[in-house]
Amino acid sequence: MNVTMSETQMDTLKPESELTSNARPVEAGDVVIEIDDVNFSYDGNKDVLRDVSMNIAPNEVTAFIGPSGCGKTTLLRCLNRMNDLIPGAGLTKGAIRILDTNIYDPAVDSIELRKHVGMVFQKYNPFPKSIYENVAYGLRIQGIRNKAMLDEVVRESLTAAGLWEEVKDRLDSSGLGLSGGQQQRLCIARTIAVQPKIILMDEPCSALDPISTARIEDLITQLKTQFTIVIVTHNMQQATRVSDKTAFFYLGELIEMADTTKIFSNPSMRQTEDYISGRFG
Amino acid sequence: MSKTTDSSKTAKSKRGAFPRKGFRIFGLGLQDFIRYFFGGNAALAIVMLVLICIFLAMEAVWFFPQHHHEYRIYRQAGQEYVDLIGAEIDAHTRLGSSVNIAYLAEVNESSKREDRLINALMQVETAVENRTERLTERLEDARELIEELPEEIEDAKDDAEELAELQADLIKAQKEEQEFAPQWRKAAAEALELPEVWDFGVNVVKLTDNEKETIKEAALMAEPGFETEHPFFAALSEESKQKKEVARERLVAFKAAVDELRGAASPMKTLHGELRTIAMENREVLDKFETAPARLEALLEGIEATKDPEERKRKEEMAAAVVIETPDYVALTKPIYESQSKHAELIVPFVETVKTGWEKLPEVNSLETKAGRAKMRTAVSDYENFLRSTEHATKAIPEWRHDRPMSKVKTVLAFFVGKEWVTNSSWHEFYGLLPLLSGSLCISVVAMVLAVPFSVAAAVYVNQLAWWREQNFIKPALEFIQAIPSVVLGFFGILVLGTALRNLSHIESLSWVPGFPMSERLNMLTAGILLAFMAVPTIFTLAEDALNNVPKAFTEASLALGASRLQTIFRVVMPTAVSGIIAAILLGFGRIIGETMVVLLVAGNKIQIPDFSAGIGVFTQPAHTMTGIIAQELGEVDKGSLHWRALFMVGMILFVISLSINFAAQRILKKLHQSY
Repeated sequence: MNVTMSETQMDTLKPESELTSNARPVEAGDVVIEIDDVNFSYDGNKDVLRDVSMNIAPNEVTAFIGPSGCGKTTLLRCLNRMNDLIPGAGLTKGAIRILDTNIYDPAVDSIELRKHVGMVFQKYNPFPKSIYENVAYGLRIQGIRNKAMLDEVVRESLTAAGLWEEVKDRLDSSGLGLSGGQQQRLCIARTIAVQPKIILMDEPCSALDPISTARIEDLITQLKTQFTIVIVTHNMQQATRVSDKTAFFYLGELIEMADTTKIFSNPSMRQTEDYISGRFG
Repeated sequence: MSKTTDSSKTAKSKRGAFPRKGFRIFGLGLQDFIRYFFGGNAALAIVMLVLICIFLAMEAVWFFPQHHHEYRIYRQAGQEYVDLIGAEIDAHTRLGSSVNIAYLAEVNESSKREDRLINALMQVETAVENRTERLTERLEDARELIEELPEEIEDAKDDAEELAELQADLIKAQKEEQEFAPQWRKAAAEALELPEVWDFGVNVVKLTDNEKETIKEAALMAEPGFETEHPFFAALSEESKQKKEVARERLVAFKAAVDELRGAASPMKTLHGELRTIAMENREVLDKFETAPARLEALLEGIEATKDPEERKRKEEMAAAVVIETPDYVALTKPIYESQSKHAELIVPFVETVKTGWEKLPEVNSLETKAGRAKMRTAVSDYENFLRSTEHATKAIPEWRHDRPMSKVKTVLAFFVGKEWVTNSSWHEFYGLLPLLSGSLCISVVAMVLAVPFSVAAAVYVNQLAWWREQNFIKPALEFIQAIPSVVLGFFGILVLGTALRNLSHIESLSWVPGFPMSERLNMLTAGILLAFMAVPTIFTLAEDALNNVPKAFTEASLALGASRLQTIFRVVMPTAVSGIIAAILLGFGRIIGETMVVLLVAGNKIQIPDFSAGIGVFTQPAHTMTGIIAQELGEVDKGSLHWRALFMVGMILFVISLSINFAAQRILKKLHQSY
C-alpha cells in the first residue's frame, strides 16, 4: 500500500531480521511461519500443546480445526504472543519462527511483532471511537499524524475490507453503531491498515449470521493475495470454503496437516476422518 | 390444604386440575409475603429519605421569616445604625494594628541577633525548670527561708520558745539547701544534655556550639532562689535594650505617625460606645415586647395545668403583670437620630487625622524587615478599606430610618452572602453562610487536588499495570483506609500531621513556599490532606471499577495492533472509562464535602472568610466548615431558636450540594453503561 509506512516501521524495528525487510520477494515454497516442536503451558505444569510442528506458507489460508479445547486457539495466540498477557503462560519447548526470527527470543519486542502479525477476534471488538479513528488507530500509535496519509490508509483499508461504500458517508460516527458483520469487517480493516505480513483470525464468523459470514469468507479469499492468513474455525464447511491448508488438532496435538482438499476427501489419519465425518467433536 | 373431605372436594372443583398449593391468607401465599417483605424494606429506605427531606425542609424553611424578624428588630432598635459607625471603627482598628505590628517588627529587627540568644536561653531555662520542678521548688523555698529567718530571729529575741523554733527552722533550711543545691545542679546538668530541651519547636533557633555552651553555663548559673545572671547575657540584654532604644529614636517619626493614626478614633469610639448602650437597651425593650404574647400564652397554659390554688394565684398575678404595650419607637430612637449631626461633625476630622497620619508613614519598600513590609502591604488594603467604610457610613447615616421596612431579599441575601457568623451574642446574631461555605470549599479544593491524581493513578496502576500479587496487596490496603474511624484520623491530624507540617513550614529553606511559615497548626491544608486521604478509597475503588468495566476485548485489540501497554491505557482504556472516572471523582467530592469529624478536629474552627489576597498561601489559614459548625453548635442551641434553624438551613444546603453531586454522578454513570 505504501512504502513510507514500511520505512517508518523499519526505523523502529529491533532486532534486524527478516521481519523488518520486505526487500526479498517471497517465493513459492517459502515458509512464513515455522512452528518447531512446540509445547505450551498456561501454568508451567500441564502442557496444553504437545510436540506441534508445522510450516505455513505465504499468501495461503491455513485453517486450524479440531474439537473444543484441542489447543488451536492457543497456538494461534502464540503466533503474536498474545498469550504473554496471561501470567505464567509460555512455551515450554521448541520455537516459533516468523520470517526466520524466533519470536520468543528475548531480543524480540512483542509490540513490534504484533505490528507484523495482526489479529481478528472471535467477537468483533471495534473501539468505542469513530469508524475513522478505529482504522487509523494502528497508525496513530506509531506516531503518524499526517492527515492526508491517514485519510489514504483509512480509505484503502476500508475498501480492502469491503466496507468503504457502506460507511464512506459516516466515517465520524461510532464504530459501535454498525451491524455485527460490518463491525467485524471494520476490525479487519483496522488490522490491515497497519500492513501486517500475517493475519490471525480466531473464529471470525462465529458471532455472525450466514450472510455476513459469506461476505467475510469472500473477503478472506481476496485478502490472501496480500497477506498470509491463519484462521481458527469450528465450522468445517468454512474451512473447505476458504482455506488452502488445514491442520487438525486433537487434545493438544497436531494430528494431521495437509491440503484442505486432501484432508476433507482423503485424510490419512483415522481421528481426522472420524472428526470430519462428524463421529465426534 | 384441606380439613375435611367435603371442603376438599368443593375446593378441588373450584380450583380445577392445577390448584395452588400451600397455606394462604387473604389469597396471599408464603412467596407473596416474602416478596412484600423485601419490597417493604426497599420502600422503607425511600420513605426515610423522603421523611428526612421533609423534616429538613420544614425546619429550615422557617429560618427565613424568623431571620427577617430579627433583622427588623435590629433596625428598629437602632443597632443597624450603630453598626454603621462600628464598621468604621473596626476598619480603623485593623488599620492601626497593621501599622503598629509593622512598626514593632522594625524595632525588634534591630536587636534580632541578641534577642535570638536571649530567647533561646529563656526557653532552655524554662525547659530545665520543668524537668527539675520539685527540686527547684524546694530549693527556692529553702533559700527563701535562709534569707528571711535571720530577720525574724532578730525580732523574736525575747521569746525563747519561738526563737528556738525559728533557729531550728533555719538549721533545717540550711541543711536542705546544702542537700538540694548539688542535686539541682546535677539534675539541671543532666537535663541540659537532653536533646528535647534544645528543641525549640516552632521558634527554631539555630545555635553554634559556642553559643550552646554559653547558654548551658548561663542556665546552670540561674539557680533557683538566686538572682544571678550570666555576665554574657547581662551584657546581651543590655545591648538589646540599647539597640531597641536606638531603633526607637531612629523610627520616632514612624511611631508618631502610628500613634496619630491610632489615636484618631477616640472621639468616634466614645460616640459609638454611648450609642451602643442605648441601642442595646432599645433592643431589650423591643425583644420583651415581641416575646410578650408568647410568654403570656405559656403562663396561661401553666395556670390551667396548675391545681394548687396558691401556686395558681401566684401565676395569675404573674400573667396579669405581663403588659403588652407597643413601645414608642420614635422616643427610643430619638438619641440615635440626634447623634447624626454629631457623627457628621466627627467624621471629617477623624478621616483627616487618619489621612495625615497615613501620609507620614514610611513607604512599604523603605522598611527593613520582611514581616514589616508584609504587614505594611496589608495596611495599604486596610487603608483603602477604611476609606470605603467611612464613605459608606457618611452616606448611609443621614439616610438611616428606623421605620423603613426591612427588605426580604436583603435578609435572605444576608444569609447566603453574609460574611459573618456570630452566635450567642447579646448584640445581634449574624448568620452568614460565606465563611462556612468558603471554608468547606477551600478544604475540598485542597483535598481534591491531592486525592484525584493519586487515586486515579493508583487505580490505573492496579488495574492495568500491576502484577496480581501487587493487586492483591494494594487494593485491600487502599480500601482499608476506609476502615479507619474518622475521629482517629482527626486525632492523628492534630497530634502528628499538624505539628509535622508546621515544623516543616518553619524550615528556612522552604520559606519560598506560599503560606509558609504557617502560624496555625490546625488549618485548611492539614484538614485537606487528611480528607484527601479519606477520599482516596472512594475514588480509587470506583475508578478501578470503571477501568475494570472496560471490556478486555478493547485492550486485546489494541495490543494486537502493536500498541504498547501505556498507549493502550491512554488511548483506549482511559477514554472508555472516562465517565466512570469522573463519576468516581464526583462521589469522592461528595465524601469530602460531607465529612465532619476530621474537619471539626483539624480545620482550626475559625469562623472567617479566608483571606484570598494571600494567594495559594490561603490554604494555610484556619477555617470552619458547614459540617463542622453543625456538629459543634447543634448540641447547645434551643430547639426552635433562630440559631437552631440557621444550622438546619446550613444542613439543608449541604444536603442539596451532596444530592446534586450524587445525582450528577449517577447520570454520568448511566451514560457510561449505555455506551457499550
